[in-house]
Amino acid sequence: MKFKTSLLLALIFVSIQASFAFAHKVIIFAWVEEGMIHSQSSFGSKRKARSCAIIVSDEKNNIIHEGKTNDQGEYSFKIPENIESDLVLTLDAGTGHKGQWKISKKEMASDPSINDIQAAQNKKEELEQQPSIFKIMGGIGIIILLASALKLFKRNDS
Amino acid sequence: MHISEGVLSGPVLAAGAAIAVAGTGIGLKKIDYDHIVHVAILASAFFVASLIHVPIGPASSHLILNGIVGLLLGFAAFPAILTALLLQSILFQYGGLTALGANAVIMAAPAVLGHYLFLPLLGKSSKFTFVGGFLAGFFSILVSSLLLGAALWFTDQNFFKTSLLIITWNIPIMIIEGIVTGFCVAFLLKVYPEIIPVNKK
Repeated sequence: MKFKTSLLLALIFVSIQASFAFAHKVIIFAWVEEGMIHSQSSFGSKRKARSCAIIVSDEKNNIIHEGKTNDQGEYSFKIPENIESDLVLTLDAGTGHKGQWKISKKEMASDPSINDIQAAQNKKEELEQQPSIFKIMGGIGIIILLASALKLFKRNDS
Repeated sequence: MHISEGVLSGPVLAAGAAIAVAGTGIGLKKIDYDHIVHVAILASAFFVASLIHVPIGPASSHLILNGIVGLLLGFAAFPAILTALLLQSILFQYGGLTALGANAVIMAAPAVLGHYLFLPLLGKSSKFTFVGGFLAGFFSILVSSLLLGAALWFTDQNFFKTSLLIITWNIPIMIIEGIVTGFCVAFLLKVYPEIIPVNKK
């Protein structure tokens, strides 16, 4: 009986992929370089999204390409031929967590300039940033404001 | 626990939104004037709890604290959790705005249920209060996991395996939330017993 229980528990845990996470934010970041589309996926700056599905689709939601991230949360593929549309890379991290990144036709047609790389890098850092203390305090402030409004409403009501 | 944009099907999103609106309506009606400040405090606690990461093996999760919110607020947990989730979505980009209703139901409905099941244990002694808090914390995450699994399952039957994994993987979080909720209510009983609704009945 003990053996059976252990075996069942072992099976359950083995079936859990290393990428499985209950994070709240899933980030995919992608760029074009030398005819390839490269992507990096994470649940924040240091927590890589490993073995997660990457689905590449066109503007009409047709699936163009599919793949899986490696241990570093990275996935690269050759720019698909004869594509006359922007591409949307969807990271499916399971358990209701999805992230998306759009690569435009223009980006695929030419290699990025230094300015493009800098802009993309800034965008990536912005996505990975932890919430600032101002946002946290701002959120609490809004809750207090709403509670005050409710208090006022209830007082006038009674 | 925060479901992203574009994951759930239309009918599941609509059902989630309808239940969330109904729960919030009942909650707003039930909040009495003197307890509004408690609702604001617990909504704020829920709002920041998701920033506290809990490492579990190779992955990581975060505190949710819906158990304590439900235990102490009852139906008022619906507006508290909905507001906190809305702000998390706008300010931290956690979860999707279209999935807000579904996310609110997943986290608030078990919390309200926990209130009716475990509140009678609170206030009798510090031991009973801790046990009541632990059970509320544990139960809320367990039922939230079941609801999350159900929402995914109703969207796509292939999600069954994922649903099973959600529940299995959340077991450590259930225990952690149980302990945190237990200690919190036992502490509140000593320092601020007015916040525990059972003391006023």
